Amino acid sequence: MTGTQNPPSSPTQSRSKKTLLVTGRTRLERLLHIGICSTFLGVDALKLAVKEAKCNKDTKRYIQAQGHLQTIGPNEPEARRDQGWIEATDKKNQAETNRLQTELNGYKHNLIKESIRMGNEDLGKQYQAMGDLPKASEAFSRMRQDISVSKHIIDVSLHLIEVAAEQKAWITVTSNVQKIRGILSSSDEDKSILPYLQAAEALASFDNGDYRNAAILFLGIDTGLGSTAATIISPNDVAIYGGLCALASMDRNELQKKVLENSSFRTYLELEPQIRRAIAFFVNSRYTACLSVLEAYQADYLLDIYLQKHIEEIYHMVRSKSIVQYFIPFSCVTLDSLNKAFAAPGKNIDKELAMMIQNHELNARINTIDKLLEAVPSNPRTELQRGALQITDDYAREARRRIMHMNASMGDLEVKGKRGAGHNNMGLSEDLFGESVGRELRSRGGG
Amino acid sequence: MDDLLPKLLSFPQHPPPTTPLTDTQYDEGIRAQITAVKSLSDSKLLVHTSSGESVLDFINPAINTVPYAFTLLATINALQKGSKNSKAENLWDKMTGFLANFDPRQIRYLGSELNMIIETVVELAHRSGQSGAAVAPVSGALLRYDPTGGMLTSKHLVLVKLALSSRQWADAIPTLDKPILYFPTLHKPPKSKLLCNMANSPNAYITSDGGFSRKLKYHEILEYFLYRGMIYIGTRNWKKAYQSLEDAFTFPTKEGAVSKIQIDAYKKWILVGLLLEGKMLGLPKVTGSGPAKAFHIIAKPYEAVAQIFESGTAARLKAEVDTGNVIWQHDCNMGLILLVLAAYQKNQIRNLATIYTKMSIQEVHTSTTSAETGARLPNVQATETLVRSMIAEGSLHATLSAPPNLVLSFSLVGQVLSEPQFQRELAASTTQIKALTDEVKHTDHMLTHEKDYIKWLQKQKKSGKSITDPGVGGMDMDWNGDGDDEDLMAGAY
Repeated sequence: MTGTQNPPSSPTQSRSKKTLLVTGRTRLERLLHIGICSTFLGVDALKLAVKEAKCNKDTKRYIQAQGHLQTIGPNEPEARRDQGWIEATDKKNQAETNRLQTELNGYKHNLIKESIRMGNEDLGKQYQAMGDLPKASEAFSRMRQDISVSKHIIDVSLHLIEVAAEQKAWITVTSNVQKIRGILSSSDEDKSILPYLQAAEALASFDNGDYRNAAILFLGIDTGLGSTAATIISPNDVAIYGGLCALASMDRNELQKKVLENSSFRTYLELEPQIRRAIAFFVNSRYTACLSVLEAYQADYLLDIYLQKHIEEIYHMVRSKSIVQYFIPFSCVTLDSLNKAFAAPGKNIDKELAMMIQNHELNARINTIDKLLEAVPSNPRTELQRGALQITDDYAREARRRIMHMNASMGDLEVKGKRGAGHNNMGLSEDLFGESVGRELRSRGGG
Repeated sequence: MDDLLPKLLSFPQHPPPTTPLTDTQYDEGIRAQITAVKSLSDSKLLVHTSSGESVLDFINPAINTVPYAFTLLATINALQKGSKNSKAENLWDKMTGFLANFDPRQIRYLGSELNMIIETVVELAHRSGQSGAAVAPVSGALLRYDPTGGMLTSKHLVLVKLALSSRQWADAIPTLDKPILYFPTLHKPPKSKLLCNMANSPNAYITSDGGFSRKLKYHEILEYFLYRGMIYIGTRNWKKAYQSLEDAFTFPTKEGAVSKIQIDAYKKWILVGLLLEGKMLGLPKVTGSGPAKAFHIIAKPYEAVAQIFESGTAARLKAEVDTGNVIWQHDCNMGLILLVLAAYQKNQIRNLATIYTKMSIQEVHTSTTSAETGARLPNVQATETLVRSMIAEGSLHATLSAPPNLVLSFSLVGQVLSEPQFQRELAASTTQIKALTDEVKHTDHMLTHEKDYIKWLQKQKKSGKSITDPGVGGMDMDWNGDGDDEDLMAGAY
């Protein structure tokens, strides 16, 4: 079960500690994730996960965590399946669900709106705790029918966001964020959930791979997220995700202005000083240092539940950007100096450079004889001349073609299908090159 | 015979009068002469002069085109009836001489006669097993008859078939190079447009009842474009071939109908596109959606080859081509497919220029593969030969240093036009565009005189709606583009 990703050999303990900064179901999920992906921290994480699961009602999760632990650490006391607890919890869950359901039916019978709403809310929470997310989301949605004040709308949407975030249904998350935004008043209480909304939206963009947008959203999160969003994201995550997205998608000026000089984001960055360092290095053109900082933390990030999927692409983007930036002030750079700056010792980046040039990320050419990377001299005059001639040519050709087509339709010469043959044979008209000589001619022309 | 001669030579006057004839006078004169010559019997025309010369030896086809043409026809008729008065090879020289020298103004009155003579030339060449010999005279005659070359006639079709079957491509090229704009229609020129007015566009004197060309069917037009494309393929002129094939499959269709000829053209077009650009370009915008769908379905194997050519490996390309062998053979595209295979490595080498400035031939050798074998070339020397041949034929802008350490340096900018060269090119395209503007006006004029359009106008008037149809100007072509081009030039100097 270990090693679905290449397991990092020695991640620092910090990541698993940080996992503890979040609460609720996502904490269990993150522990599980670390347990599955890391050989180094796996046992510890799973032990924590098992303990965590036992405090909750979700027996499926417990079985999952315990199962993994049994595979990698069968000697741990937690690895034994606590069948008694499972059965008891299942029974309790069932009874509780039934009780809530009956209560809800009673409310419905009495037509008390507020009670129906709360009944649905309780039922939703119960399902969520049990890990039955589709049913939870259904129950929360039913709350909407009995809303009386705008505060309730916010409640509904907040519940839905939480459930959808766990399901990674990002469209639901963003649409609910928009719904809340639409009705927020300017009272302090309403304002306090703004960072939460922003974080949820940013996370949605991030997981969809829209790094630029995610960066802007993360950077726009006001101070005071604190633990309000602890059920989906911690302030440390905001710093890491936001910083990395910005690093991958913004240029040096933007990074300076929007990240380093951004007072509200600074409070988050202080939680993760290495991200701050990496960005500062990049801004100061010390790309090697920047990349080595990122490299050092890669093992950690691979254990993150959201980052794991994206980290490779983000690192690649940062790396390509660094190479491009590094090359900008020069007309020609030796490959040796590039290797020194970017390649791992003993390796070279020739292939990577060739790849980048091919993808039009880097406007340069490689000289393998003199071991140089050369900038492409631009010659706007020739380009303009070539363009001008090309345009006139295209124009003349297009105009002629249109004249010909008009004359063809004036002479009623269009290709026409046989009447009634229409749909069966896709309107192929039955012309077989007239005479038998046609085939012979075609073969000659082809040769 | 001698008494006939003055009659035959009565028009045009020799030497020419000091004040040239007006078009009306010319028209009257030549019509009168044609009636007169026509009234003579064949036997009279064939009588030799007192000095024993035939009429054909005596008169100059460049000046007295009318009597020469009729005498020629009389000779042909006599020959076909089996009279022994003339000899065939003599006739061949006379006919080709006539086709190369007739007067372009007089010949406009002799459409059907010219048609007969061309037919005879083709048939004679065919019968003697040298059909290629007829390509040059026919091609020359077509251009002489219609110097703009914009009218597609049934004789053009004869020409392309002749050229293709005899592989005499080069002689047909001057005629084929002219872009086709018009097709023969029944449309009668208005009285005011005399045949002899040299400023007229070809559709004033080439009409489907004029005797020179019959009305074409759409499949004949498509055939012309396809065959023309194939001739260009034969001469390895990929750009022209590409455009001609494009003309075939973008030809307007009704109700989503597609001709098989169009599909054939599309298949070849994909392969030629690979040879020309090294990749598959999108369908031109004018392609109808119905045909486009049919193309994509029927020509799938070809599109697959194109995709692999662009981004796949040599081995995959070879495998794909091998599995499709039956298809290519059935479509008679084997030759093109082999060329595509050969072009794969060349294309790879050209693409190296977008990444490298200098590299050793050894590196070129290891980083490219031949699609003909699906493997690297057997040795570095083979790669060197290939690179040298590419440089020599101008398909690779690069230089190769002298042995022993062979270094290939790519030129970064490609071909650079010198200033005078560029000015010449610009001037050429300016005149081209100006000429086009005339054609546009002409077409616009014809369109506004179309029967259907006038009917529609009447209807609109009756129903009292305001007329907003802008005619040609309404197409999404920006005719103001003209002005823009001139601005561009102004900036360039």
